[in-house]
Amino acid sequence: MAKVESPQVTRRTTRSYSASNDAIESTKPIEPYKPTLNDLGFRQQPLSFEDLLSCLPGRRTQVLELLRLLGPLNSPMFPILIYGGPSTGKTSVILQVFRHLNRPFVYSSCVTCYSPRILFESILNQLFHRKNSGNSYSSIKRCEKPSDFVNYLREALESVIKNLKGNSGKLSSKVSGQPNGTMIYLVFDHLERVRKWDKSSTILPFLFNLFDILKMPEVGLIFISNTSPDTYYFNMGYVEPIPLCFPDYTEDDLRQIFMANQTNRKLYSSFLDVVLRPFCRVTRRVDELSAVFSSLFKKYSQPLSDMGVAPNEDMKRRLFSHLQPHITSALNETFLSPSWPPLLKDEANGETKKKGSSRMSRIHEDFDKIDFHMSTSAKYLLISAFLASRNPATLDASLFDSTGVSDSRKRKRKPSEKSLEQKEMTELELLMKGPGTFPLERLLAIFQCITSLAEDSLDEEESHELTIEGGSSGLMSDVLLQLSSLCNANFIIKGGSCPLEGSTRYRTAVSEDLALKVARSLKFPLSKYLYRR
Amino acid sequence: MGREKEKENPSQKALNLLRTRLSNPNFVFKPLSDSPDSNYSKLKFIISSSITEACNNSILLLGPRGSGKVAVLELVLSDLLQQYPEAISVIRLNGLLHGDDNCALKEIARQLCMEHQLLFSKVASFDDNSQFLIAMLRECGLAHKTIIFVLDEFDLFAQAKQRLLYSLLDAMQSVTSQAVVIGVSCRLDVDQLLEKRVRSRFSHRKLLFLPPSKEDTERFLEHILSLPKDSSLPHSYTVEFNGRLKNVLADERFKELINTYLSFNSTIGQLMRFLFQAVSYMDLDVGFLSLENFKTALSSTQRQPKSECIKDCSILELYLLVCMKRLEVKEQNSYNFNSVMTEYKSIHDFQTSDNYAGNVCLRAFEHLLQRELISFTDNRGHNQSVEFRPVKLLISPAELYHGLKSYRSCPAILLKLIAR
Repeated sequence: MAKVESPQVTRRTTRSYSASNDAIESTKPIEPYKPTLNDLGFRQQPLSFEDLLSCLPGRRTQVLELLRLLGPLNSPMFPILIYGGPSTGKTSVILQVFRHLNRPFVYSSCVTCYSPRILFESILNQLFHRKNSGNSYSSIKRCEKPSDFVNYLREALESVIKNLKGNSGKLSSKVSGQPNGTMIYLVFDHLERVRKWDKSSTILPFLFNLFDILKMPEVGLIFISNTSPDTYYFNMGYVEPIPLCFPDYTEDDLRQIFMANQTNRKLYSSFLDVVLRPFCRVTRRVDELSAVFSSLFKKYSQPLSDMGVAPNEDMKRRLFSHLQPHITSALNETFLSPSWPPLLKDEANGETKKKGSSRMSRIHEDFDKIDFHMSTSAKYLLISAFLASRNPATLDASLFDSTGVSDSRKRKRKPSEKSLEQKEMTELELLMKGPGTFPLERLLAIFQCITSLAEDSLDEEESHELTIEGGSSGLMSDVLLQLSSLCNANFIIKGGSCPLEGSTRYRTAVSEDLALKVARSLKFPLSKYLYRR
Repeated sequence: MGREKEKENPSQKALNLLRTRLSNPNFVFKPLSDSPDSNYSKLKFIISSSITEACNNSILLLGPRGSGKVAVLELVLSDLLQQYPEAISVIRLNGLLHGDDNCALKEIARQLCMEHQLLFSKVASFDDNSQFLIAMLRECGLAHKTIIFVLDEFDLFAQAKQRLLYSLLDAMQSVTSQAVVIGVSCRLDVDQLLEKRVRSRFSHRKLLFLPPSKEDTERFLEHILSLPKDSSLPHSYTVEFNGRLKNVLADERFKELINTYLSFNSTIGQLMRFLFQAVSYMDLDVGFLSLENFKTALSSTQRQPKSECIKDCSILELYLLVCMKRLEVKEQNSYNFNSVMTEYKSIHDFQTSDNYAGNVCLRAFEHLLQRELISFTDNRGHNQSVEFRPVKLLISPAELYHGLKSYRSCPAILLKLIAR
């Protein structure tokens, strides 16, 4: 009798399970990394003074003043507050200065550490602890209150300083690249975020008074903030840290910054001659300017066949005239990077032409299309929300009656002086108050009307293009989901509930331009439905 | 200045020495406490008498920030610890950290345990801790040991229910306990914040810390900044340093400078920060303090943050600010971004060089919000988009005018508009 082997049911394993099994079999358990004093320094080659100044253009005075306030090795200091506009180089200067001085420091940013507990634990973790799988990625100590933080910090700092003092005695420390000195510096970046925390009324004075509370001369505190020191005044007093101002870059500094690391300096310098002055009238922030300059430079050097050439006067004039229309259009855009790269955009234009009648005009190609993707029902919902906010509720019946759009015949009279005045007042009111609120039922009613109209009009065209199954009931089931995703994307704002009725009211948050763009992409005649006073 | 030199030159050592001195409050306040009627002597007398006579006491130290209350207290305590080594134990609390009563009692228990080598349990409840405290007070009283409670930022303890204060002061009423409660605060009226039952148990002793007189300040400056003769610095350098320092201090311009500084920042602590800045500006190649160092330090304390912000603004942002000021002049009480835009467009009826589109202006508007030159007037704020929320200017018309006048390449139209 043949043995009937019971069919072996192979166990289905997921990929990670089989991988981890292999890993456990093949490798030894990895030793947890023990952080040492070296981790408190910058961990890269220290810079010389000239390198420091050259990698931070336009910041010579600030670097010198910072070096003076930090002082020579092992000298105690009072807390410093570095303040200046965004993208003025405050964080980079501090980090590069510490790299140059090769002193140990602990950096924590109040953007990534968005609550007191995370901030405290992050600082304590950097002083000799590494989260790894051995301790299941937990912090060294759970620390929520400032009192616990001060106690743990004192312990950790005392052990670190003892190590530093032990090391500074040996000569070999300089050779092995360990950080110098017996002082340790705590850097708190983005301090202005702390003002928005819940416990800001105790945490901010605590941070500013930390120097007096700790009473350890080996600790230096440095605060970096985007707003000036006068925005930190509270009821609770504190001794002010020494302020250090980082003013915005001047035009010459900007030129120096943009010229760094350019391959063809003469070409780029002639480009900057053309664009720097007009764009500096709008904004002087480096991040915004660099975004627009990179795309404009590509357009500027388009007619050039050889990128390495140094332009003469004649070429400069030609390049300038080529660039001129692009400058005026770029000045009126906020300098976002496009979500589609320009090459793909051409293909997309080619594809949409397949869908039959498209009336997109070539000149306004860039500005007419919305550059993000929305489903059709979401677009209709957005338009309905816009109409619900803009039109008064009493007009719905006449606008959306079953016979389609009815042209209002009442407006043939010539407007009198008083009604003109009233019109102005109501326009002013509209400017001030903003779009109105509407309840959910009204939104759904308008949505129903619009989509039924759209289906009727599309039935006349090639109806197999659209993939909506069977009438408006197919759209309806998605609508509430779509509504909540539109609320999350801030296209519709959910307000408080009306005190009389108790239902939540919504408000539209899109501008008229965007609504028109969306309507145009659906071929929906939005302007016929908008109530003009 | 690539790597720190092994052998420091004397100016660097002197700089280190001065900086260490200035940031050490104990050194700073010692000379001011030498006279017999200073706060130091009074405080020492009160505490030492309550130790020797084995009685309870409470006292408040009041004065503006930086006038040396905690520094003098630490000096007194360190002297007394030397004098009576076994008879004192000190518990330090801070209102910022331990304002909550649970937290405060936990900290008291922790410090007591640390001092007497007992095991501290982190999960002890409020009742456990308070019973422990009372028991310790009794034990220490029997052993003739005084517990000194230092309550820094006393006004923060007096905020919610004052349970801690009441329990401490109540425990002091019994005959067996020996405790001294020292409250330190910047609010001069802090005893008015106390509840009736707490205030009745409090002895109304107060010590006021006032800024020193002019002569005291001058003597004090010389003492602080002169290098000591017996340090490791070369003798000739020390002598020359002190000589030059004397010349600078005797200079009339220096006296005027110090008076200017003291007229708006009169406490010793802030004077220390000023001297620290001046000392750090010392030129290491020259190696001596000069009047220029002090002048630079003074100018760096006299900043005008809003004018600096105006200098950092771009021209479009200046346009928006001028439009807002014009709206205020027209007595429109509340205006939002859309009304500012209509005003902006109306300015450009006769000139089109700086006319930008709506989204660019909105971005400039948001930059102004970030710099805190304007702010929203409503607090709830999340019901409306940015263009409709009412805003207000946070900069006065005079500051705006001065800022525009000192702006490099300010367009003439703005100056004309704001002058009206």
